[in-house]
This record gives sequence, C-alpha cells and structure tokens, in this order.
Amino acid sequence: MRISTTRFGRIDVETDDVLHFPSGMPGLEGCREWALLADATNDALGWLQSTNRSDIAIAVVSPRRFVPDYQIRIPRSELTPLRLSDIGQAQVLVVVAQGSRSLTLNLKAPIVINLEARTGRQVVASGDLPMQYELVPERPPLKKSA
Amino acid sequence: MLVLSRQRDESIMIGDNIVVTIVDIRGDKVRLGINAPAEIPVHRQEVYEAIQRENLRASRLEPSDTRDIGNLAAKPSNQAPVNKNP
Repeated sequence: MRISTTRFGRIDVETDDVLHFPSGMPGLEGCREWALLADATNDALGWLQSTNRSDIAIAVVSPRRFVPDYQIRIPRSELTPLRLSDIGQAQVLVVVAQGSRSLTLNLKAPIVINLEARTGRQVVASGDLPMQYELVPERPPLKKSA
Repeated sequence: MLVLSRQRDESIMIGDNIVVTIVDIRGDKVRLGINAPAEIPVHRQEVYEAIQRENLRASRLEPSDTRDIGNLAAKPSNQAPVNKNP
C-alpha cells in the first residue's frame, strides 16, 4: 500500500509489514496502524510512521544500543494483549524526543512489538525509570601521540 | 464525576467488565484492585498523562533533529541507575 508521509514523502509499505497497535499510544490513540521504517542515514534509528496520519511519526531506537544495562519488568497484563508469554519473544524499542539539552529516550514507557503477530503496544515498565534519559556525544577516543 | 462511598472489600462495576475493589484503607492511602480486560490499559493518571505529553513531544521530531544520534551514548551515572534489582 502507498502511504503519504510529511517526513518521507509517499512510500510503499507491504500490508503484511504494518504493525497493529490495538490501543494506539497515549496521546495518539487514533493511530493504530504503523509502519516501521529504517532511517535513511542512521542505522541506529527507526521511524514508526502512522499509516493514517501523514504528519505523525515517532523516532525509535533499540534501547540497549544506547543503554547497555537497560532491563525492564513488565506486568503480565501488559503482555497479554500482545499475545506474548514472555518479553524475550518481543522486540523492545524506546521513543526518542528532543529534550532541552539533548535527545532523550523514554525508558519508562517502551514500545513492545510482537514481530510474529505484527502487533505492538506502548507499556509502562515497573520501577523508577526516566521518561527523558539524556543522550550525550560520545567522548572521542584519546589520540595517541605520534 | 460520579462519587460513591465504599468501604474496604466493597467494589464498583464500570460497564460490564471492569471491577474496582477497595483492597485496603490505611490513613490517607487507598489500595485499589482493578479487574479489567487485558486490552484496557490501567494506569495511575499522572503517569498516563506524562506519557501522553512525552509522546506528543516526540511526535514533533524531524529526521534533521536526529542526524547525530549515531554518535550519542547514554549520559554516565549522574542519571538514575537503570538496572535496579527489585
């Protein structure tokens, strides 16, 4: 299917690749169908593009790429709607936003995707996790003198 | 808003498949038990609203804002530790 997007122009998406979010996402409840796109220049980044709202897209990353010790505990009631029996079967992504000082990751409310069933949901992870985890430029490696 | 008084162990039905039960009352804190179908998310209101705000903020991001994300790492441990044991 062909969808229009404000960020990426008109793109073709396989109907089978579309992810169904039965509950939408908080603030974006009307958006239940999403296409997961790879960013053209950044392999660390993906975009969840709403297939019915051309202006709505969410930047997402694999959290362990940036936060290696990221672990989540999710109540079973949050996994059941995705037909997942354990979190290991899922792909976990976190939402990227622009903070006051840097890009931030929402570690408190990750997006959990059941790749096989093509379903997804934004869940609230247990514990004291930040909604705006700041990312900073990596220090370049120390230069060795000649 | 509908306001009802309930005592401990009493319940309220919302629609025909949501039950809210007063599990415990201690001082000014009430423990509520919620029985709802799995598809209906149940959250503390302030948490839900914070996630709403974050999602709306995130939805304004453009590809040009993320150009340098490949060079970014998490801020070192002056942020709250992420891997807390229960």
